[in-house]
Amino acid sequence: MPNILRETLEEGIFLLTFDRPDSDTNIFDFDTLSELESHLDAIASPEHHAKGLIITSAKPGVFIAGADLLALRKMNTEEVKTFIQRGQSVFNKLAALPFPTVAAVHGAAFSGGFELCLACDWRVASSAPETTLGLPETKLGLIPAWGGSTRLPRLLSVPKALDVILGAQVLPAAQALRAGLVNEVVPKEHLRLAARRWLERGKYEPGFAHSPAVNAMVDAVIAPGERHEVQQKTHGHFPAIEKALEVVLKGSASWDAADALERERDAIAELIASDTTRQLLNLHFAQERARKFSVPDAPAEVAAIKRTAVIGAGVMGSGIAQWLAAHGLPVILRDLDTTPLAEGMGNIAGLFAAGVRQRTFTEREARAGRDRISPVTTDVPLQRVDLVIEAATENLETKKTIFKRLDELVRPDAILATNTSALSISELAASTRNPRRVVGLHFFNPVHKMQLVEVIVGPETAPEVAQRVVRLMQQIGKLPVLVKNSPGFLVNRILVTYLAEAGALFWNGAEIKDIDAAMREFGMPMGPLRLIDEIGADVALEVSALLANAFPTRLHVPDVLPALQGTGLLGRKVGKGFYKYRRGAEASPNKEVAKLRPPGQLKPPSRDEIEQRLVLLMINEAARCLEERLVSSASEVDLAMVLGTSFAPFRGGPLRYADSIAVTKVAEELTRFSESAGPHYAPCGLLRDMAKSGKRFYED
Amino acid sequence: MSERFVIIDGVRTPFCKAGTELASLTADDLGRIAVDALLTRTGLDTALIDEVIFGCVSQPPEVANIARVIALRAGIPESVPAMTVHRSCASGFEAFTTASERLAAGRGSIFVVGGTESMSRQPALFQDITVRKFAELTKSRSTKDKLTALAAFRVADFEPRALVHVAQTDSFSGLSMGETADLLAREDGLTREQQDAFALQSHQRALAAEARLAEEITPVYLGSKPIARDNGPRADASMAALGALKPAFEKYGTVSSGNSAQPTDGAVALLVMSESRAKELGLQPIGALTAYAYTGCDPAHMGLGPVSAIEKVAQQSKLTPADADVVEIHETFAAQVLGVLSRIKPPIPPDKLNVNGGAIALGHPLGATGARLILTSLKELARRKAQRALVSLCVGGGQGSAIWLERI
Repeated sequence: MPNILRETLEEGIFLLTFDRPDSDTNIFDFDTLSELESHLDAIASPEHHAKGLIITSAKPGVFIAGADLLALRKMNTEEVKTFIQRGQSVFNKLAALPFPTVAAVHGAAFSGGFELCLACDWRVASSAPETTLGLPETKLGLIPAWGGSTRLPRLLSVPKALDVILGAQVLPAAQALRAGLVNEVVPKEHLRLAARRWLERGKYEPGFAHSPAVNAMVDAVIAPGERHEVQQKTHGHFPAIEKALEVVLKGSASWDAADALERERDAIAELIASDTTRQLLNLHFAQERARKFSVPDAPAEVAAIKRTAVIGAGVMGSGIAQWLAAHGLPVILRDLDTTPLAEGMGNIAGLFAAGVRQRTFTEREARAGRDRISPVTTDVPLQRVDLVIEAATENLETKKTIFKRLDELVRPDAILATNTSALSISELAASTRNPRRVVGLHFFNPVHKMQLVEVIVGPETAPEVAQRVVRLMQQIGKLPVLVKNSPGFLVNRILVTYLAEAGALFWNGAEIKDIDAAMREFGMPMGPLRLIDEIGADVALEVSALLANAFPTRLHVPDVLPALQGTGLLGRKVGKGFYKYRRGAEASPNKEVAKLRPPGQLKPPSRDEIEQRLVLLMINEAARCLEERLVSSASEVDLAMVLGTSFAPFRGGPLRYADSIAVTKVAEELTRFSESAGPHYAPCGLLRDMAKSGKRFYED
Repeated sequence: MSERFVIIDGVRTPFCKAGTELASLTADDLGRIAVDALLTRTGLDTALIDEVIFGCVSQPPEVANIARVIALRAGIPESVPAMTVHRSCASGFEAFTTASERLAAGRGSIFVVGGTESMSRQPALFQDITVRKFAELTKSRSTKDKLTALAAFRVADFEPRALVHVAQTDSFSGLSMGETADLLAREDGLTREQQDAFALQSHQRALAAEARLAEEITPVYLGSKPIARDNGPRADASMAALGALKPAFEKYGTVSSGNSAQPTDGAVALLVMSESRAKELGLQPIGALTAYAYTGCDPAHMGLGPVSAIEKVAQQSKLTPADADVVEIHETFAAQVLGVLSRIKPPIPPDKLNVNGGAIALGHPLGATGARLILTSLKELARRKAQRALVSLCVGGGQGSAIWLERI
């Protein structure tokens, strides 16, 4: 069955409709490219007297989504080059047609799908919310290699093209129009009419404004600044962005189109072979799986959650309420008094205002979001509410009291969720009349930036309850990972193990700058001691105490934390902790802290050893979580760590990283450190077994 | 005997003087806050609402049929119709009594009613001559014509007519509301001291009642500040301070800004329904409508409107002010209330009248006031475990309105 249908609209005007059989999306594979080519050849042949071509899609929500990524990932370098070249040559054919061409876009058009649009003379898009256009390749460790890196700068100018390509931007239709990615936006019923009109404009003549000559001058001016900024932001960890920059700069200034296209090909072939790109693609697929995840043993169709309540208007509570409201759900926001409620409402207003400034919403949408929130300081009827999320203080007794009260106020089929980061879901559930409907929904801070949500279930949690909240998380643009109830759940358990050891290393003589630099080198966005400052030494102390209590043989509260709390050096929120924080200045290591630790230490470990030890501990704990079946796959562990802690994404996560250095080596090194640095380094059972049989965490 | 029309509950925003804490909110913002708080407190399934009726006098042009906008923004399903009503100062009453008429006509049994006003944001109008000049400019085609049209404008043309003042003048008699009060004061021989003393009492009672009034109020969250109190009542009000104010409307007049109600922002929402629906839904009403009347009177003496309205409703219901345990007579001006009081037989005892303060202290958001009087009198009946309340408003343009309520 063909992927593309051809029709004659009128004398000489042709329509190509992409409609991949048995799929809800259109993608480019070898077959589709060949089909497109044969249609182009046929239309261009003399007997058709072609005067114009319109390209569109029959899919309700997708124009064309780009190349088949799964297939691409499996290709070797030569295969990649061939595939890329094929796409380039077909799109070149399209661009070289002697009669005008228009892309009529409704639905998602990104990567190859948008590059096809760039090869047309004109682009019209529908105003529907599903219509988005752009080039997100760099987020996946790739670059637009079907002419996108070459054609976009000639259409928009180099700086604007760089914004789109380096920023991996995918824009809704109205913004795409403003950015110059499309020529007109119309309601979808008028798409064909508008496309037909644009044919009358004839072929697109690129003006002087963004010609190679001008671009060459622009490049000369902006190149040093751009290169510096990229270096600052990526620390060399994101080769796709650096390559994209070079390809765009050189390609935009080159008169030889073939040369520019060859650069795109070479760059992408190199990237696909690189570890970084492989890991980013793996993460992309893991994210797709989380978007479609279904709870095992739960019914596929479950009742949607429509009305919600959030208890506690603190940072997390107000952040969760804002996110829910922004995604169309009414939220009753409850706190004890007008003062904390007002602070929460202020936080929410600020988030919506920032969203409007960043053009995430229009002012009207922001107002509708704010209107959905009903703030209350007393108990109100909750009969209409489907889900309550408790985000009050981290105190088991307080939560039990709240849950008992909620038990009385909500319907029997309503779901009671807690945002606790450390307390036991099962213990909370047991204090209610109906434990089956109690679940953990652990959001990360800040809610509007962190996609990950840990969905925590105990043995008593009903599968359909878990499924309902998973579906809600997917609906509101979060990525859920199902985790079994256990101290620290998944992310915090691994993170705190790492932070506690970093604290201990410091207490035993290592310097703040060495510890943090080592981990930034590894690829963490900030070092562990800086992270403790962000979290707050008091919070870190509380959580590590809880976990130390749960895992006494291998986790101890590092002495530095009570010392920091005792001297009020709580971190960024009070202006000083491990670092000193001053407005308008970089954070600097706080010399006072060194005075707190005992004197006369042995020579501290080198940066390399620090990095090794801390990363190995994370791997060990991550492997334990998998061993204990807290989640069902290594991929979920890695996804959670990357999304929840920004664990170096280009390394793929702790378990991917373990595979890359070989599990055998991991087990060996952990054993070595258990002898020199403490028994808590001893490798867990799973790692020992895997090392013996030479197994990997991942097949691919 | 038709079904009783009952009030389940009501909520209002704090009332704040125009140009102060609520000035950045629109009338529909305020209305939405009151309606949302009401619906959240009662937990009513909004699909059951038959209609939303709201009073609003200034009716900002960009919010055509403000009741509809408030209803949609408060999350009431789009299938529920809505209407905005205007009977000047009695618009809040009008929303309430119109709903009762809907019930009596069999056109619905559950309603959300109320009133809203943002006097801070009443539009500034262009003068008529300025509007004519703009029309000429728009009609001009050639450059020469456009330049000629532009040249006709003068600086004085851009001085706006503040609607807040425009709206306070009765178009028929030509008198502003304040002038009608001064007229009454002159005719009745009311002294400045008498009016100031009444005003002082309004402030003192409102301040003493702050905790009780808080029961009616839902906080407004703006930025990160909660606004939870009426800001009209003044602890520093005194005969001396009031006496120092200049006459506001006539050179030798006795009506001042101190003994008048201030322009104010605020909204009130009430949930009303038939008694049988309340029973079905398991909702406990706080009161019921007993009787009401609207009358017309001389626009120049609009302040005396309550006199005829109270008489008319007495004829219908056989209830006279002696039967009232609680009385609210809206305080547009001290002179106006005093004028009404001297004409009502039997006289209303001071310990039953406006016991928690009135508009002189609390302010008068035009569309909302009527609904506030209903709410506040029902709350007071509950506190006193008393039976009947009489609430009444004078209406700019020469009308009176009176409603009898009973506690359930």
